[in-house]
Amino acid sequence: MIKFGKGNLRIPKWQRPVYAVAGGLTPYRKKMPEYNISELAMIAFRQMLEDNDLKLDPLEVKGLLNYAVYGAFADHFQDQLLCEAKVHDYLGLDPLYNTGIKTGGATGGSTVLNAAMAIASGYADVALAMGWERMDEVDTKTGNFYISTAACKDFETRLARIYASYYAPMARRFSWKYNLSEETRAKVAVKNRLYAYYSPYAQQAGKHTVEEVLQGKIICDPLRVLECCAMSVGVACMLLCSEEMAYKLTDKPCELFMAGGTHTLRVADRRHMEIPLLPHEIPGMYDAVLREMEEKGDRWPGFESFLAARFAAYLAYRMAGIQNPLEELDLVELHDAFTISDIQTYGDIGLRPYGQEADYIESGDAYFGGKLPSNLSGGLLGTMHAVGATGIFSGVECLWQIQGKYDKFHGDPKIWDRWADIGEYKGKPRRKPDDWISLQVPNARQAAWVSHAGVGSHVTMGILRRAI
Amino acid sequence: MKKVRFIGKPSKVEQEKPGMVVEWPRTLIHHHTYGQLSKFFEGLKEEKLFATRCVNPACFNKRLWIPPRADCPDCHQPMEWQELPKPIIGEIFTFTRIEYPGEGIELSTPYYQIDVRIPGLTTIPKGYLLYGEPYIGMKVKAGFRTKNPTNTILDLYWVPVKNWSKK
Repeated sequence: MIKFGKGNLRIPKWQRPVYAVAGGLTPYRKKMPEYNISELAMIAFRQMLEDNDLKLDPLEVKGLLNYAVYGAFADHFQDQLLCEAKVHDYLGLDPLYNTGIKTGGATGGSTVLNAAMAIASGYADVALAMGWERMDEVDTKTGNFYISTAACKDFETRLARIYASYYAPMARRFSWKYNLSEETRAKVAVKNRLYAYYSPYAQQAGKHTVEEVLQGKIICDPLRVLECCAMSVGVACMLLCSEEMAYKLTDKPCELFMAGGTHTLRVADRRHMEIPLLPHEIPGMYDAVLREMEEKGDRWPGFESFLAARFAAYLAYRMAGIQNPLEELDLVELHDAFTISDIQTYGDIGLRPYGQEADYIESGDAYFGGKLPSNLSGGLLGTMHAVGATGIFSGVECLWQIQGKYDKFHGDPKIWDRWADIGEYKGKPRRKPDDWISLQVPNARQAAWVSHAGVGSHVTMGILRRAI
Repeated sequence: MKKVRFIGKPSKVEQEKPGMVVEWPRTLIHHHTYGQLSKFFEGLKEEKLFATRCVNPACFNKRLWIPPRADCPDCHQPMEWQELPKPIIGEIFTFTRIEYPGEGIELSTPYYQIDVRIPGLTTIPKGYLLYGEPYIGMKVKAGFRTKNPTNTILDLYWVPVKNWSKK
């Protein structure tokens, strides 16, 4: 049982407001021999400085930077310790201080959080948050082994050497307990891969059917191949700043709130506890569920839910003054590394009460045009999971949505053409489709994104709010 | 000083276009310690399953831990070892069939990875089923690979409990 001390539930408070003003991405591919990682970092950096309608010249903006934070998940992949120093030098940012961040799959989120803390504290007025991963130096099976060393090496890693094997038992238990169908899981894969179809950055976009997903190869039963994200090469970055700088830099400043939570690396060690309630949840609403769990020797969060996500949402909603996420947010970007982890998170962040997560998909709320669309970027299943970049990519996609710039960054044929013929698409270029549609959420004002590590070991939630 | 010679092996060029990609072979041996948990792994070779328990009278959690911990996360005091009485019977909490494992897998595939709830434990440890078809709630018994032990967690396996039918 985790017992909270009085101070543990304190809501974070920036010492001064933090803003996000610009973002930059690269294309994401399984292999990208065309560019080394520093060159990719420059591509994202330049998009951030040059294409985000900033009111100052790119080099003037660069001249305002005080601090940089770099996220990369696994040195095994990149095979370059202190890659931060190489990238920082390549971007021409010495001698500004930089910090490297590593929190597994939540590295991107933690990177933005660290940069935000620098702004909030006054250490920096303008800070760069950038993340990357280069996962193509090893073959897929070796990559899976590397990732599985982010499970407990003494008690878990040798039991499969692939991360899907730690989510698959969660999928089975969740389905058994909450009667989740395979079709609902498959719909998440179909939805997110379809949204990736409209993104020029996407690695594995596709118009799939539920049947196709369900006929796919089993990786770790019940998870099938199209339910699992890819390994990617790529970079993402975001520019954060103080309120004063935000208005100086852009006509579309967005205020940022952000918090994180953690839980044991091993799911085995997650003991039964009370559910911390989100602002819109009613005290006592889970009493019967918890009682039933205790009677059956079951537990919360157990194998079905993520305390880290719940805790991050508990803090972030209150920090941003959000009373009801489903009503007040206009879109979300979730960490859909697997279909099941996406679904599990719906309960944790209060899009549905626990046990009713499937309804978020089945009701249509999660779709473009629905009440609260999720992963219009294509997410991890469709667009990318270059791990250190992922939690920044998701934030940038939220930022562009609430700045009303989805079309600018996803619909411009020049962007499509620039990235059409690289990586695995070499020789079979991926051009802007004739049936491209805009996924811009009309008048989007507020968005949240989740960055998630391990089997829920670290989770951050960022909330972006349009200031004007 | 003698003239410097190249004593390595030239890197093989895998491809030249669109960027030059070379092989960089690695053979690595890590020297990994089980630290204060060594007793657990030694125990497996003697057909013993050891857990740890907090003995601090002021601590609220007296249940057993597997994976064991040398120190209690609740009160930070040292834990003590306790051997689980045999037969060690657990219940499958959830499971997956491993079809596509990562590089270096040491078990023949496919196999079932299982999460086992064991009476008295605060945890639900992960393991594998030596044979049989699992289901949630299935009773399983701990077994030990004492012949040619692997000296890893793979020395602990689970088998279906005979004569126990699903009610």
